[in-house]
Amino acid sequence: MTSGSKQETLQATLQTLRTSLPELRGALVATIDGLPIAQSFSDNTDANRVAAMAATALGLGKRINDTLGAGELTEMSVTGADGQVFVYATGRKGVLAVVTPAAMNLGLLNIEARDAAQTVALVL
Amino acid sequence: MNAPLKLVISGPVGAGKTTFVQTLSETEVVSTEADATEDIGKATTTVAFDFGTLNIDGQELHLYGTPGQDRFDFMWDVLCEGALGLVLLVAGNKPQDFLHARHILEFITSRNPVPFVVGVTRQDLPDVWAPQDVAAYFDLPVGQVLGLQATEAVSARNVLIRLLESQLAKETV
Repeated sequence: MTSGSKQETLQATLQTLRTSLPELRGALVATIDGLPIAQSFSDNTDANRVAAMAATALGLGKRINDTLGAGELTEMSVTGADGQVFVYATGRKGVLAVVTPAAMNLGLLNIEARDAAQTVALVL
Repeated sequence: MNAPLKLVISGPVGAGKTTFVQTLSETEVVSTEADATEDIGKATTTVAFDFGTLNIDGQELHLYGTPGQDRFDFMWDVLCEGALGLVLLVAGNKPQDFLHARHILEFITSRNPVPFVVGVTRQDLPDVWAPQDVAAYFDLPVGQVLGLQATEAVSARNVLIRLLESQLAKETV
């Protein structure tokens, strides 16, 4: 697989996720050191910033899990009054961040976003 | 028993921040290293922070090492909240990073005016800038800029002691 087609596959994975869950505000794939690889946002969210923050959240989440003996980190979330961010570990190299509105169908999100995370992990 | 002092260690990528915290900490360091995907001259990079603790003359110190890349500048803000001192590290053999170091220093001190010292690392290497030359570059008093090896405890500790002394001097004014 060339790196060009990897990029396309990742972009397509994000598109599929957003089509399945149109209420999403956006989604992004980044490297674990915080550089954006693929992104799709409805607004003018700064992808560079979210990529770095997703990497920070993942790094910190891993350490928290280590300390608590909770095993390998799979996902973590940050919740506010007006929205949520879910951060998924995608293999050793990447991270998937999904930004949702406050009232989100979490069951559906879990199914779709975990699927997407698996695809991203395979591609990277 | 004094309350722990929160000190922040910042500076560009590869300055030696993580090493500095690892060298000095008397407790296991909480670190957040991730594999680097860009060429930064090393395999891993800090994405959240390094945390270590030590005791100097009965004073407990909490060290927070920051990430070095600008994209993590929100962590500089987060970690500097409530900090009582800053150690800005620069690699003495990488003058191309000095401008970035100055940018980090200005970013932090303009939002949170904390006492600081500048540490010039890699003093064991032959082509390294002397601390007084870096002081001239940063336009700082020579006493505020120290040379060190981040791998070596005595020189790293001296940087903290200088910072604490400058802080005490400030408090007694």
